Amino acid sequence: MSDTTTRYAESLLAAARAEGNADQVVGELFEFGRVLETNDQLREALSDPSTPIVNRMQAVDDLLAGQASRVTSSLIAMVVGVGRGGQLGEIIRATVELNAASRDQRVAYVRSAIDLDADQQQRLAAALRESTGDDVEVRVILDPSVLGGLVTEIGDDVIDGSVRRRLNQMRESLS
Amino acid sequence: MRMRTKAMMLAAAASVSVVAFAAPASASEETVGSCLAETILEFETDSGITLHELEEAAAEGDEEAKKELETLEEEFEACNESPNPILPATNEIIWGGLSFLILLGMMWKFAFPAVKNGMEARTERIRSDLAAADQAKVDAQAVQTQYEAQLADAKTEAARIVDEARQSADQVRTDLIARAEAEAAELRERANGEIEAMRVQAIADVQSEVSEIAIGAAERVVGGSLDRDAQSQLVEAYIQELTSK
Repeated sequence: MSDTTTRYAESLLAAARAEGNADQVVGELFEFGRVLETNDQLREALSDPSTPIVNRMQAVDDLLAGQASRVTSSLIAMVVGVGRGGQLGEIIRATVELNAASRDQRVAYVRSAIDLDADQQQRLAAALRESTGDDVEVRVILDPSVLGGLVTEIGDDVIDGSVRRRLNQMRESLS
Repeated sequence: MRMRTKAMMLAAAASVSVVAFAAPASASEETVGSCLAETILEFETDSGITLHELEEAAAEGDEEAKKELETLEEEFEACNESPNPILPATNEIIWGGLSFLILLGMMWKFAFPAVKNGMEARTERIRSDLAAADQAKVDAQAVQTQYEAQLADAKTEAARIVDEARQSADQVRTDLIARAEAEAAELRERANGEIEAMRVQAIADVQSEVSEIAIGAAERVVGGSLDRDAQSQLVEAYIQELTSK
């Protein structure tokens, strides 16, 4: 993570806190980041230098209209407006991790084929805390490619309990 | 050359002297014709008749005439006896002998030494020529021996070169055969390796294809069979597994 990314993340988090709804803004930023991760066309549109910045910012407003708070929309538009659309995913990820770190937590990115309810997320967080020894904040990413089960990524550690991993193991044993 | 000229001059002088002092061989002797003529003339003068009249009287049977005629014929036969063709006249023998002695003395004095010297010089020259010829023969034989030795050396050298060339050719042939065999073995080994690699790759491809088909089928089966409850059970199992660690 570069210093520029960290400074932008700190700025976004400070602005969200200044507005008084940091957790909501960070949550909305995380959701936008998931969409950005899976949508190559959107990622290229926001980082295309041949597209006027005004048009790119307008695209962000149109995309998030009614889907996110005004603060969230404005912060994303601000990052795109300064020409950092290409690093928007990294900035959002850094913002989420900084927000968790402010509570002495680590972010656990959990990939699942289905959405997890609050109870499952709490029990999963508790289980991860017992397993890793660190307090974690669970961020669920819907990923149908895991087929079933969960894949948890905390920093550089990956705990893969997915059906996809078992199928891959089966493929390797057959090859 | 000088001696030869002097000898020739002496011989010419001797010849001139013989011609100058010698008289004709028959100058002091009468010929057959003159002998006959003198006999006939003497008969006609003594008898007062001619030879023809005598022959006619003898033919008529006169015995005295026949005897006279027989006597005359004997004298004719005596005239017919020619002088000795070999024996020269006496004066010629004298003058010729004298000239011969003078010539012999001159030649003994002058020509013979010159001839002797010439002969000795010629003998010496011939001897030296023979010696030179012998030396040349010896030299030629030495040269021939040298040439024969050189020829023998050349033949030996040629044989050695041919032998070396043959050995080199054999070595080259052996090397080429060995290289060709090595290349053939390498090609065989490479071909076998490629065939083995292709076989392994084909098996791997088949296995991969089979596994992909099997995994694809498994994914479709799993994807179709994993409903919401099954997904929740997998999540719970994951949480339980984390807790049990």
